[in-house]
Amino acid sequence: MIAPVSKIREPLVYGHKTYHQITEDLVAPTEKAPSLSWMLVFIPALVLLVFGVFSIYWTIYVGIGTWNLNKTINWGWDITNFVWWIGIGHAGTLISAILLLFRQKWRTGVNRAAEAMTIFAVMCAGLFPLIHMGRIWDAFYIMPYLNTRGPVWPNFNSPLLWDVFAISTYLIVSLLFWYTGLVPDLATIRDRSAGLRKKIYDFFSLGWTGAAKHWQRWEYLSLILAGLATPLVLSVHTIVSFDFATSVIPGWHTTIFPPYFVAGAVFSGFAMVQTLMLISRKVLNFEQYITLNHIESMNKVILTTGSIVGVAYLTELFISWYSGYIYEQFAFFNRALGPYWWAYFGMMFANVVSPQFFWSGKIRRSVGWTFFLSILINIGMWFERFVIIVSTLARDFLPSSWSFYSPSWVEIGIYLGTFGLFFTMFLLFTRVAPVIAIAEVKHILKTSGDQYVGKDAEIQH
Amino acid sequence: MNRFEFSGKLRITLLIGIGIGLLSMILTYFIGDDDLNSRFWSNFLHNSSFFTGISLMAVFFIAASVTAWAGWYVVFKRLWESFSIFLFAGLILMTILGIGNYFQWHFLYHWADDGSVAHDAVLKGKSAFLNKNWYLVGGLLIMGIWIFFRQKMRRLSIMEEKQIMGDYSIHQKLRIYSAVFLPIAGFSSAAMIWLWLMSLDAHWYSTLYAWYTASSWFVALVAMVIITLLFLKKLGYYEQVTDEHIHDLGKFLFAFSVFWAYLWFSQFMLIWYANVGEETVYFKIRKDEYSWLFYGNVVINFVVPFFALIANSFKRHKLWLVIISAVVFVGHWLDFFLMIKPGVLHTAHELIGHGIENEEVLMHHHHLPAGFGFPGLFEVGTFIGFLSLFLFLVFSSLGKAGLVSQADPYIEESLHHHV
Repeated sequence: MIAPVSKIREPLVYGHKTYHQITEDLVAPTEKAPSLSWMLVFIPALVLLVFGVFSIYWTIYVGIGTWNLNKTINWGWDITNFVWWIGIGHAGTLISAILLLFRQKWRTGVNRAAEAMTIFAVMCAGLFPLIHMGRIWDAFYIMPYLNTRGPVWPNFNSPLLWDVFAISTYLIVSLLFWYTGLVPDLATIRDRSAGLRKKIYDFFSLGWTGAAKHWQRWEYLSLILAGLATPLVLSVHTIVSFDFATSVIPGWHTTIFPPYFVAGAVFSGFAMVQTLMLISRKVLNFEQYITLNHIESMNKVILTTGSIVGVAYLTELFISWYSGYIYEQFAFFNRALGPYWWAYFGMMFANVVSPQFFWSGKIRRSVGWTFFLSILINIGMWFERFVIIVSTLARDFLPSSWSFYSPSWVEIGIYLGTFGLFFTMFLLFTRVAPVIAIAEVKHILKTSGDQYVGKDAEIQH
Repeated sequence: MNRFEFSGKLRITLLIGIGIGLLSMILTYFIGDDDLNSRFWSNFLHNSSFFTGISLMAVFFIAASVTAWAGWYVVFKRLWESFSIFLFAGLILMTILGIGNYFQWHFLYHWADDGSVAHDAVLKGKSAFLNKNWYLVGGLLIMGIWIFFRQKMRRLSIMEEKQIMGDYSIHQKLRIYSAVFLPIAGFSSAAMIWLWLMSLDAHWYSTLYAWYTASSWFVALVAMVIITLLFLKKLGYYEQVTDEHIHDLGKFLFAFSVFWAYLWFSQFMLIWYANVGEETVYFKIRKDEYSWLFYGNVVINFVVPFFALIANSFKRHKLWLVIISAVVFVGHWLDFFLMIKPGVLHTAHELIGHGIENEEVLMHHHHLPAGFGFPGLFEVGTFIGFLSLFLFLVFSSLGKAGLVSQADPYIEESLHHHV
């Protein structure tokens, strides 16, 4: 018996798809030669990647002095980019873990791509703290293990070290989650292929046969991983926020940072999922699987998290006044009216005002608007980190050491390089694995296919 | 049985509970109190704010669920709705405190004492927000808005019953009110929490305080919903509510207990780590003077529900779930006790004039006045009174509409809910 579905719900799979058609549609991109549009995106991505690699090489070869950081502003684009990429990585695990626990059916359309995005984004993020060390080999010393270094241990009191653990745990669990979900789909591709291709997919599908027992264990594992990953969604950005909030720097040391960073991360993560999925559904012809209903749901999440971020901004602002602490008050005065005022107002506009457009159902369901606003939010969330980091540091305790900072070409190059890495990886991923989870879409077909629910339903149950 | 019958027996039991509460409050006022009646009024504030907040969270839950197109809870949505009735009582109770600021019925707030404000630069700086007028007018305004939305949403939810099948126009309206309420609740709850509770420690501040307090309310709400729902089932109502719904409620209790602990940790750890005197003072007093409550708070509200609810079977065991819910409910009441009492006591000391010396003495002798260090009999009695009043109003409201909605768009899904 199929569970009843309220008539007020919209379908999530259009085109009266059968199980077979779903397989055909979703596997297709991995079986065809790359399209022209794919190549047109892939080549620039690769160029950016190469430029990024060169910039990193230059940083390591010449030294960290190739960046424009100075004694006052000792965190700049590097940590801004780090936090930004980590934030983007949040949507994937939220979609795959928390939305699975909440039994949200619309997650099936976007979870695979979002999880992949998470992994690539975390890879991009992880680069920055490493390069930032200046002497890259120092990265060795963040590993805590019994060794011949004697009493030399990493500083366990430092949130920067907690970051190492939090992010590596996050990467591992996200990777497991993504791969677990992929197994049945890889087996589907295997069953349709021959020769070497078959051998490769056979290896990666771990002997999946589709036996009932396999499905049962697979579902069980997904649920356990979801349970484990849910606290991780919160912990990673919480610990990133600790990097700032454990300090005594006015503007950084504030207790709302942990949940507010998490909300902001989910916010930016969903914006990036929107950006990517709006392109993917067009290029790969997935409009019937990633429907306007999916886009609308994601826009609602963006509206919610954007408003949470808005409440947090205003809370910070209010409490800085309320505290009666002049340095706290100055920190916010400086943010809004200091040398980087444009970043503050850019942030406020892009993060708090722009998602409010999504109150309109028309705009939520408009592909053009969604794409435009998702880009704007991505920029806004980058500004947020820039505001927190650079505009705070620029005005430190001694007015004699106040400073200004703009990035060098090397710093810009590394940032562009991470875009190259991100898109190269994502585009390769669309070639080798189904971008939409085949098995999971099939799983919801009978409760969300447009032949079963919605106004075109033919089959009543 | 789709109509709840508020039986005479239950009515009398709750009225006795209210009586115990009134008696406790009278006794507190006349025998167990200091010159400023700090104990009586802090108990008054403690329970009023705690139960009003639970009521607000019930409206918030419905608004969030309607917005998220949730179906599972619909079969017992009337229970959530009836929880919001206490907002009316909250309006009256908090207004009494608001008027009391003018006539010096109570001395809960340091910032409400003109003499202190005149000599205190920090309090003077905050006086644009912390003042008697805003406490009264802002409170009336914001609680008025909450009640407006509560009324509107409740009415729409009942109006749905009279609609023809397949017509969802009322539900669409409900969606609009729900969505609009969410950001309003987000801002206004923070403002009220700062005003009612955070300002008790008038010099102290924490940006996370509002969310922390709201999460405490929310967990208490879920715990009380579980208890009342299972009680109603025991009476023979709500037979449509199955183990599956109970299980999901258990998950909510588990998840939000962990969320509360997350906020607790975030607030405590950041203040502890940075070690700024103006901030640590809040926890210093609580850790030293109220150690049992301070550590007990984390044990009761996090460790207990975490281990007691982690397995599936635990969440489906009704008696177990009721016990844990009761523990957690009392736990969050104690959490509020810990949030409120030290600040009130400090203010009382300042005003009575013993000032700092007295506090030094306290630090050394570990002696806190009755009703401040740990809830005494009067506190328990007052709690019973407020809880009985809360339940009395809830059950009265519950009887006013059919227990199970017949026309909610998601009712079929909820009746066949499966985790």
